Amino acid sequence: MPVPLGGPLKWKTDSANIMAKITIDGNTHDVADGTLILEVALEQGIDIPTFCYMARLEPLASCRMCLVEIEGQGKLQPSCATPVADGMVVRTDTSLVADTRQSMLELLLANHPLDCPVCDKSGECELQDQVFEYGAGEARFHDQKRVFYSKDIDLNPVIIFNAQRCIQCQRCVRICEEVVGAVALGTAEKGMDTKVTGFENSLAGCDHCGNCIEVCPVGALMSTPYRYKARPWDNKETDTICPYCGTGCHLSISVRDGQLSRVRSKYETGVNGETLCVKGRFGIDFIDGDNRLRTPLVRKEGALVGVSWEEAAAFIADRAEGAVEKGGLGAGGLASPRLNNESLYLFQKLMRTAFRTNSIDSSSRFSAADPKAYQSLEGLFGGLYARRSLHQVLEADCILILGATVTDETPVTEYMVRGAVRSRGNKLFIASARPSRLDSEAISSLRFVPGAEAYLLSALLNGIEGAGKTFANIGALKKSLRKAAKTPPPEFGEFLEKAGTALGAASTVTLLIGADLLRSPGAAAALSMARGLGRVLEALGKRAEVQFLFDRPNQMGAWELGGLPGLLPGWRPVGDAAARATFEEAWGTSLPADYGADFRRMLERSEAGGLDVLYVAGGDPLLSYPDGNLVESALIKTGLLIVQDAFMTGTAHLADVVLPAATFAEEAGTFTNNEGKVQELRPIRRPAFESKPNAEIFALVAEALGRDLGPVSADAVFDEIARLVPSYRGLSSNGLGDDGSYSRPFAEGNGGDLDDPPLALPRRTKGLELVTGDSMFHSGYLSGNSQILGELSAEAYVEMNPDDAAGLELADGAGVVVRSSQGEMEARLKLNKRFPGGVVYVPENFADARLNRLLKHGEYPCPVEVLRG
Amino acid sequence: MFEKVLLKNAEKPDVHGIEAYEAAGGYQALAKVVREFSPDDLIQLVKDSNLKGRGGAGFPTGVKWGFVPKDSDKPKYLCCNADESEPGTFKDRVIMEGDPHMMLEGMALASYAIGAEVAYLYIRGEYVLCIERLETALDEAYGKGYLGRDILGSGFNLDIHMHVGAGAYICGEETAMLESIEGRRGEPKLKPPFPAVAGLYECPTVINNVETLACVPHIVTRGAEWFRGIGPEKSPGPKLYCLSGHVQKPGVYELPMGISLRELVDDHAGGARPGHKIKAVIPGGVSAPMIPESGLDVSMDFESLTAIDTMLGSAGVIVLDDGDCIVRVAKNINEFFHEESCGKCTPCREGLDWTDKILHRLEAGEGRQGDLEQLDFLCGSIFGNSFCALGDGAAWALKAAITQFRDEFVQHVEEGRCPYH
Repeated sequence: MPVPLGGPLKWKTDSANIMAKITIDGNTHDVADGTLILEVALEQGIDIPTFCYMARLEPLASCRMCLVEIEGQGKLQPSCATPVADGMVVRTDTSLVADTRQSMLELLLANHPLDCPVCDKSGECELQDQVFEYGAGEARFHDQKRVFYSKDIDLNPVIIFNAQRCIQCQRCVRICEEVVGAVALGTAEKGMDTKVTGFENSLAGCDHCGNCIEVCPVGALMSTPYRYKARPWDNKETDTICPYCGTGCHLSISVRDGQLSRVRSKYETGVNGETLCVKGRFGIDFIDGDNRLRTPLVRKEGALVGVSWEEAAAFIADRAEGAVEKGGLGAGGLASPRLNNESLYLFQKLMRTAFRTNSIDSSSRFSAADPKAYQSLEGLFGGLYARRSLHQVLEADCILILGATVTDETPVTEYMVRGAVRSRGNKLFIASARPSRLDSEAISSLRFVPGAEAYLLSALLNGIEGAGKTFANIGALKKSLRKAAKTPPPEFGEFLEKAGTALGAASTVTLLIGADLLRSPGAAAALSMARGLGRVLEALGKRAEVQFLFDRPNQMGAWELGGLPGLLPGWRPVGDAAARATFEEAWGTSLPADYGADFRRMLERSEAGGLDVLYVAGGDPLLSYPDGNLVESALIKTGLLIVQDAFMTGTAHLADVVLPAATFAEEAGTFTNNEGKVQELRPIRRPAFESKPNAEIFALVAEALGRDLGPVSADAVFDEIARLVPSYRGLSSNGLGDDGSYSRPFAEGNGGDLDDPPLALPRRTKGLELVTGDSMFHSGYLSGNSQILGELSAEAYVEMNPDDAAGLELADGAGVVVRSSQGEMEARLKLNKRFPGGVVYVPENFADARLNRLLKHGEYPCPVEVLRG
Repeated sequence: MFEKVLLKNAEKPDVHGIEAYEAAGGYQALAKVVREFSPDDLIQLVKDSNLKGRGGAGFPTGVKWGFVPKDSDKPKYLCCNADESEPGTFKDRVIMEGDPHMMLEGMALASYAIGAEVAYLYIRGEYVLCIERLETALDEAYGKGYLGRDILGSGFNLDIHMHVGAGAYICGEETAMLESIEGRRGEPKLKPPFPAVAGLYECPTVINNVETLACVPHIVTRGAEWFRGIGPEKSPGPKLYCLSGHVQKPGVYELPMGISLRELVDDHAGGARPGHKIKAVIPGGVSAPMIPESGLDVSMDFESLTAIDTMLGSAGVIVLDDGDCIVRVAKNINEFFHEESCGKCTPCREGLDWTDKILHRLEAGEGRQGDLEQLDFLCGSIFGNSFCALGDGAAWALKAAITQFRDEFVQHVEEGRCPYH
């Protein structure tokens, strides 16, 4: 019987070189000294039952199911906690071992309620399975069973607890503490009264990630949304990839009768293993959200009315005709980095070949739009970017996280960082605007206002011993660096000193860059300095690697596959005739050579009356793009606004034609995650209502405009990508494997000149400055369509430091108005004593708040006042 | 007449103050050691004395100290286990109430030997008078320069922190005690790593019992030879025995290690109540299997008791006579372990709940056919399989009662009542 254990050795490092000979059940094996007996047995296909062991958790050895005989030892020993030693002789197949397993099961069943007929876990319960495999056929215990509560306890809206069924393996408590870091669960009382619970039977500080439910071997911790919904065998389960952030977690989505029943994570697969975050585990219910589009809509006499696909296509053909003739800047397209690779590739193909424009963008939230930023990005992706597993990247001696609130934006990545730091003792440094739980794992954390990243990196670089000698190797950097950052501000002192020392001592360094950095107007300089730091470390003989911590599932794919105004797929400039020729030949048409407009310029053009067509595929710029008022006015003035989405978004309400698209879960394709790994999305069902896969819609629109995009099946498009885009060369649609395949760096070399580092920090305003980003419970506006996430976090809030609030005479929970030069919004105040002074945070996820009306293009953070509401 | 060592002061009234202790030669050992001994000298001396741990396990103290890595740059800690909670055991209490400085001096010496500058005193919360006396004693010792910075001008520093337990028996288990000091749930931890390598706050740590530490000043003052000359060769030294139960003169007796159990019970503690005969004796706290009257000629030392399948343990000697119902005794003892099981491992948590239910029924006259076989099965399932010694001790003691007095158990089932009550 296969016991899910977390994938043998998956979380272990291969540091042990000394080998030991161990004999298990008569066969001798050479294994790394220090490996646990249980792990060796699993590798050898010998089944040892256990409840408390999980590869990722510290051994507990409490369930006593895995006891084995070791020659020379008077007592049976727990194989889950006993490392092998050379010459050890182990037996797992004796009658004593079998009797002991049977006894432990009999003891566990003595007080177990045996209410399997009404238990959600029945059918996939590890206790059931093990009793079936190893248990006695009958029960001898006939006394009164222990009863904790007559009713199950709702620990919170998504987790419900039945204490009677608990077998005290403590997996839930340990995963909450060791992996998630929330420490929301604990153990109260002792002996038979021992129960897993949170403070006062609630779960204060709980992430609602449900990892405790996932690892519960029995039906003690259960998912409230899944409760009584299905038996395991009623579910049709499909493995796919999470649509929320760039970590790229594997999801196993179960559907019963076409409706979502639950989302699980599997021990065996994915970067995430058995873990997920609250968004991934509970936020997928958006696929059945109330706001799903049912049919194509076309604006007739001012109102959007439902039409057939044919009519919608004809409408587009009719209205877009003029724009297509003109080409160039008269048309533009914005694609969401939540679309899969194949859709993104087809979208730019459609825009370039049918609309004859290079005005394509996929970064609507970022101010990185200036071409320089993309050059810097290209420089990073070209060489330093580590296209390999995050687990490996996190083995670096020194990890520097810059501009990311990892706990909120990419939670499962956060678990991995925590695990790496705790198990390996490597040195973690965090420089970010917002505090997070991960700070407690760091050697030093620095709070700074976005915009200072480039300065910080140059100061850091300057502080590395020996860096000065290598400056000559990187040309332009030399002089400026010496001038820069001579006297860093005092609040940077400790961080710079400690991080500088650690970087100097490390032989491997990983730099993880978050989305926050990309919002700032200084993004280009910061990325350039990141590259500079990497190059200097390399020149000092260290291995330096970079990965992004994108909060979107396919940001990397969007950029690499041509979702940018100046670049063809594979980061090749549109002005490069040879690059164009490759695609012209493949696509059988000429391509525009002029640099296109980014989304900002598209809006400006529209505002001036010069944008005939805007095609928005996914995303909701009306709610998310800075200068909310300008966005609204520009969208209204656009000649033909085409919105393609699964939901009736704010932008869709302004559209002339709305095309209902499949969600990530209803179409085939691939995402490229932050590791540069290409992973397969598998449809869990056909698209809801009359919606269609994004690729098919693009083909339909192309056809209406007289173009043929060629075969649009996910396989065919992927193979075209693999043929034409260097970083995907060699991959094939049917050879990605269950765990995905890595894309490759597309170019070697140092990516050109480095920018001069900034000589001073950006000047700060006297008042408060607003930062934004994803909260723990939301991701962009997608999560707003999840009913469960909506219940867990229903409205916007303003987070700030209690001292700042006291100065403004504002109390926790008070209604406040946040006002910028552009506009204002209302929300409740949430005080956080770990929050830095002078900074306020409002999550970017709430449609009603219209945060983007406060934000101004090119300005981040945003100066604001906070007033009593 | 045996010359009392550990109780030489304690049995006199009002000698717990530092003046009385100093007047009786107290803190001379510390003064001698910090002036004349290297830490290794002291470890060697204690090794030579063959002092064995008085907490129950009987591990050689000098050897334990020697396990602390010399080359570690981590701080080292000494923890004094004063969480005396084994039923029938009250010897450490007598030292802490009557002569607290003797233990503190022992702690200072042990800390010096292992290189600790911080020591913890983990004390049972119910020992209110001990806690009061120790608080005073600590103040006095700091005041006189026996604790704190630069002790007696030697450059040796030591701070002792007292940590008062909250009533869990399991916290007397050394790793659970470390967890408790760290502010975590009191549950035993996996060994290895052993505390000597990675104990408190993952630093090298030595845990010694109160009585063990109290022996150390005397070894320093009078020498290893003197100590080894008391009692049997393999477990020498003076020993405190706690006599309780149905015996005429219960109390704490200081006698040499290795005294015969019969002599201890009959001669020193006055024997059985008038008109009663001894039925059995528990030699070392309730975790130790009981010995029937016929076996009382055993020598009270670690090796001799182990040889007859019981243990010296905490030397908590509980005497049962012919008026005592063994089923009721077993039920009471098992009830204690059931209550005190931490709940971590399956056999101890679930097994003791099951034995508890059966024993309650037996004593209430509701025994069933098969109950004894279930008790046999449960003792076998718990013993050897539990995470720490708590489950083992509970099952071991119960199994002995059932084996040696099976007739009484059978009688309870067959008669459907307790013949004694």
